[in-house]
Amino acid sequence: MAGDLGFVSLQIFEYNGSAVVAMVGKNCFAIASDRRLGVQLQTVATDFQRVFKIHDKLYIGLSGLATDAQTLYQRLVFRHKLYQLREERDMKPQAFASLVSALLYEKRFGPYFCQPVIAGLGDNDEPFICTMDCIGAKELAKDFVVSGTASESLYGACESMYKPSMEPEELFETISQALQASVDRDCLSGWGGYVLLVTPTEVQERVIKGRMD
Amino acid sequence: MSRRYDSRTTIFSPEGRLYQVEYAMEAIGNAGSALGVLAADGVVLVGEKKVTSKLLQTSRSAEKMYKIDSHLACAVAGIMSDANILLNTARLHAQRYALSYQEPIPVEQLVQSLCDTKQGYTQFGGLRPFGVSFLFAGWDKHHGFQLYMSDPSGNYSGWKAAAVGANSQAAQSMLKQDYRDGLTREEAVALALKVLSKTMDSTSLTAEKLELAEVFLQPGTGEVQYQVCSPEAMGKLLTKAGLSQPAPEA
Repeated sequence: MAGDLGFVSLQIFEYNGSAVVAMVGKNCFAIASDRRLGVQLQTVATDFQRVFKIHDKLYIGLSGLATDAQTLYQRLVFRHKLYQLREERDMKPQAFASLVSALLYEKRFGPYFCQPVIAGLGDNDEPFICTMDCIGAKELAKDFVVSGTASESLYGACESMYKPSMEPEELFETISQALQASVDRDCLSGWGGYVLLVTPTEVQERVIKGRMD
Repeated sequence: MSRRYDSRTTIFSPEGRLYQVEYAMEAIGNAGSALGVLAADGVVLVGEKKVTSKLLQTSRSAEKMYKIDSHLACAVAGIMSDANILLNTARLHAQRYALSYQEPIPVEQLVQSLCDTKQGYTQFGGLRPFGVSFLFAGWDKHHGFQLYMSDPSGNYSGWKAAAVGANSQAAQSMLKQDYRDGLTREEAVALALKVLSKTMDSTSLTAEKLELAEVFLQPGTGEVQYQVCSPEAMGKLLTKAGLSQPAPEA
């Protein structure tokens, strides 16, 4: 019976379908997601947001169950706002990652069905990316992190396309190609992509078209 | 026993008074004053910092002005340690509301919830009231810009111009004389500085003794903004209002 329950709770991550990826470049990073919201194989919306802003230099992408992604984001805003008011500054990416981790582990035995991807610029505009599982086990990386139903293909695509120290424009091209290549191999995610390119001085938001089917 | 009705906050005296609450108000009367002015396009808060010793390190620029949420700030007069407790509750309440309803808390609702907390300490068990008065400045979609004043008893009221702390009576009557409807924010700043300069105990106004914060709508986006005036800008404002001589350069 326990096996059955495990099966059900793994399925739930694939209920809406998602693909989220973040990559580090030279003094910059990019975070991208697909735009599909489905109910199993039926597509419900094609403009769904999975990447959320925490502050100007910190973003979180939440793959997995859409309802939990939204709730988790709202709780994170709540905690970050209180931090901002008390400390009179924004949270550093590392601190924020620990907050997300703690918030997820609070629900250790009834988790949010989300796998977060966190990307931000920290001290001296040092890029930071990390991901974690649904109960908050952090996984730090220097190059790229992936999550969602397309994560397996994303690993492959990123592994072969990624180069260290890319300039913003090249980084945008690479992350977009990796995302697009991966969602085309996954029937639960896709329908265009959303890319955020963050440099110390500016943030570029781009919506990309892909195979819209 | 002459202090019969003093010792417990929750007991009325035969004249129908709550002494502990009155003493709390007395405590605020000695604190650095703060005043607020409602303008057509914003709310202005000005506070007097009591510089107790020049050896004291001023940790932050603002010690009387606190942001509660993006659309809401307050000025404090009274015991700071008490105020910090209330500010924590206020911020938490504002964020809880935002989490539940995904919109900013209406200003009066926040003020009311805080005053409920204050009131509780004048009625229930063996504690003392909060020795704090607040001036709240905020904006919401229901009533636009608003200014509220609250006292230790948990009473609150909305004002066009209000003062708390030392010499607040004098400040209040000066504001009553000089306030007129439809002031601009700039005029409100000038009025607040003028009144404070006349009611403050110290003779000369300097930027270090004052704090100024404004709540207004950003021209382009229409977003509510809370802005604390820097000491440099404060100095310029004072010179402009003719309230202080520019510091002699060495």
